[in-house]
Amino acid sequence: MTGHISRRKLLAAAVAVPVLMGTAAACGDDEGGDDGNVELSVFWWGAEARAALTEKALALYTSKHPTVTFKKTWQANQGYFDKLATLTAGGNPPDLFQIDDNYIAEYASRNVTLDLTPYKDDGRLDVSKFPESLWKYGEVDGKLAGLAFGENTQGLVFNKSLLDKFQLPAPTTGMTWEQHIAWAVTVSKTAKVPGTMDPSGSYQAFWVWLRQQGKDLYNGKELGFTAQDVTAWFELWKGARDKGATPPADVIHEGNVTDISKQLVVTGKAATSWVWANQMPELKKNTKDELGVVAFPGDPSAQWARASMYFSVFRGSKHKDTAVDVANFLANDPEAGKILGTDRGLPSNLDVRKVVADSVTDPAMKQSIAVEAELVPKFGPAPAVPLPGHSKVKTELVKAAEEAQYGRQTPAQAAEAYVTAAKSAIGQG
Amino acid sequence: MSPAPPREPAVVRRAPGRPRRRENLPGYLFLSPWLLGLAAITAIPMLLSLYLSFTDYDVLTPFTEANWVGWDNYQRMFTADPSFWHSVRVTVTFALIAVPLKLAAALGVALLLNRVFRGVGIFRGLFYLPSLLGGSVAVAIVWVSMFNRGGAVNSLLAVFGIEGAPWVSDPKYALQTLMLLAIWQFGAPMVIFLAGLKQVPVELYEAASVDGAGKWRQFKHITLPMLSPVIFFNLVLETIHGFQGFTSAFVLSNGTGGPVDSTLMYTLNLYINGFVQLDMGYASAMAWVFLVAIGLITVVLFRTGRFWVHYSDSEGG
Repeated sequence: MTGHISRRKLLAAAVAVPVLMGTAAACGDDEGGDDGNVELSVFWWGAEARAALTEKALALYTSKHPTVTFKKTWQANQGYFDKLATLTAGGNPPDLFQIDDNYIAEYASRNVTLDLTPYKDDGRLDVSKFPESLWKYGEVDGKLAGLAFGENTQGLVFNKSLLDKFQLPAPTTGMTWEQHIAWAVTVSKTAKVPGTMDPSGSYQAFWVWLRQQGKDLYNGKELGFTAQDVTAWFELWKGARDKGATPPADVIHEGNVTDISKQLVVTGKAATSWVWANQMPELKKNTKDELGVVAFPGDPSAQWARASMYFSVFRGSKHKDTAVDVANFLANDPEAGKILGTDRGLPSNLDVRKVVADSVTDPAMKQSIAVEAELVPKFGPAPAVPLPGHSKVKTELVKAAEEAQYGRQTPAQAAEAYVTAAKSAIGQG
Repeated sequence: MSPAPPREPAVVRRAPGRPRRRENLPGYLFLSPWLLGLAAITAIPMLLSLYLSFTDYDVLTPFTEANWVGWDNYQRMFTADPSFWHSVRVTVTFALIAVPLKLAAALGVALLLNRVFRGVGIFRGLFYLPSLLGGSVAVAIVWVSMFNRGGAVNSLLAVFGIEGAPWVSDPKYALQTLMLLAIWQFGAPMVIFLAGLKQVPVELYEAASVDGAGKWRQFKHITLPMLSPVIFFNLVLETIHGFQGFTSAFVLSNGTGGPVDSTLMYTLNLYINGFVQLDMGYASAMAWVFLVAIGLITVVLFRTGRFWVHYSDSEGG
């Protein structure tokens, strides 16, 4: 008999539990609004250092606005955008999230991001202290899709300890590409460490080089280069490989696919790596050697001040105003600026930038600031924001460059294939 | 719930072969979590993905607003996407080589472990261990670091004076390294083979040896035929499994299928199209083509199985 009863109870429970849980979850959603408390979800990519700084800055916001707390989520760059896309598809993206040139156009053109223009116009989002070209970087089709969070530029990072040990000269800003390669050959011979990472698959190097040839990565809605340009670029580096300036293809491949903490200059597999200047602290953390940074070879006016990343607000967020206010705080509050330092690039707000430059103690951050300060007057005009499909344009370049590096294709063949793939990536007929 | 009148469960009388509906109800209710799960987690998403495969769904726009594009995705796959055919080639190569070798390894080890000797249980456990770690990310990471240019494998080779190679970062070897990883995880089929070997009647071997058959002839004429249903079972399972290989390729290539697409397995290509390029309509179409292809391969295997799988007759016993 008892078995009979307990079985029915069990059945009832089996039905009831999910129902109850559903109700509880539903209650949880609404809780925030009623008592004036807001929990804002924030999502960013980065390493531990960035997480520590960001959490500290957000805590500062909470201490000033006790009703606002944060649900913080962060992870490595790899997989970040997969997750962001999945969250968006589920109708549940974070209120405030970090985004970069690879995807900002994709998200903006699909109306995922809130247009920040009205906030900018009525001053709730203050960009008055930003260089104009910098905040405009966040505009996509006339809408302000993201708040430029940090300025950076291309940086050639070299292992200073290694060069000093063999009494080799450091590379300098303004060297030509041929001089850089010749220098790298000397390093390879003397120090027995390949002088330079082969950047033929690195879009930022290719882009700078293109601009020095009077071309660009994009021209309106089309590619700004031809297969001949790519061939010349690949040939330049084929020559460098043949002379022994670079590591072998499989090591170059490692440099191409690994994240910032395993760049060849850090792992000791090359004397130089091609990165962004604001990445110095993250590089420095992974090596005992002293590092230095200069501009990419060639005329430095081909480089430009770029928005290293953006903070965007989800258009469907229940707490849009709060999210914008937090972004505004992180970008413009001097105290928050001091906490965040140059981790996401030089602070966008020039006043904050000055405060940070005066107070920063981290030597790697100091170096980032110094090199950008030196380069700023030499910068040329910034190119337009990359087109949707940019991330594929980047990965296809790596693939084509590697075809040439492994010797599976000639530079001309790889260049031809690349142009076809890049055109299809941006939907150019 | 319907208020069923209380009934004594111990004295259940039922018309033979025709269970009453009321009796089935609790059964279905108990099944309901699973049925709900099947519907919510498998059936509905599958049907949805079939629908999406005819649209330009891009993940970021709600799928209710995706545009119907007819057969465009399928057409593009077969006519205008070289990476599709490339990933098909990589996957077929992988399955054709890794699956037979894995089964051979499993059978070989099962034969060794089928004998009775001290500590055989420990060995069985040890050989099964890699499969427990199975598709895990950690194993793939360990594999990568072992087979790297400066990894353990090359150091070991150097001891014997052999110069190693960059096994994971050279397109010539990367896929082979993945195959080796798959073969190494032969534990699951091995355990099934072991169970099958236990079922072979000892009398058959005794009779054969009385008739003067050597070990090899015994293996060929007794073990293999008696084991053929198990071999077939393992073959089907491992083939499907081999085609679905994803984790190790993803980890080894940092999610790119590189170096230069040498490890671009079909499922990885699908993933990149869906989640990196945000072309989920196309990725859904790829998934359906994949499903049909695996279905066809399984059918073909079953057809050929008629010629070599030996089922002992059911009356015998």
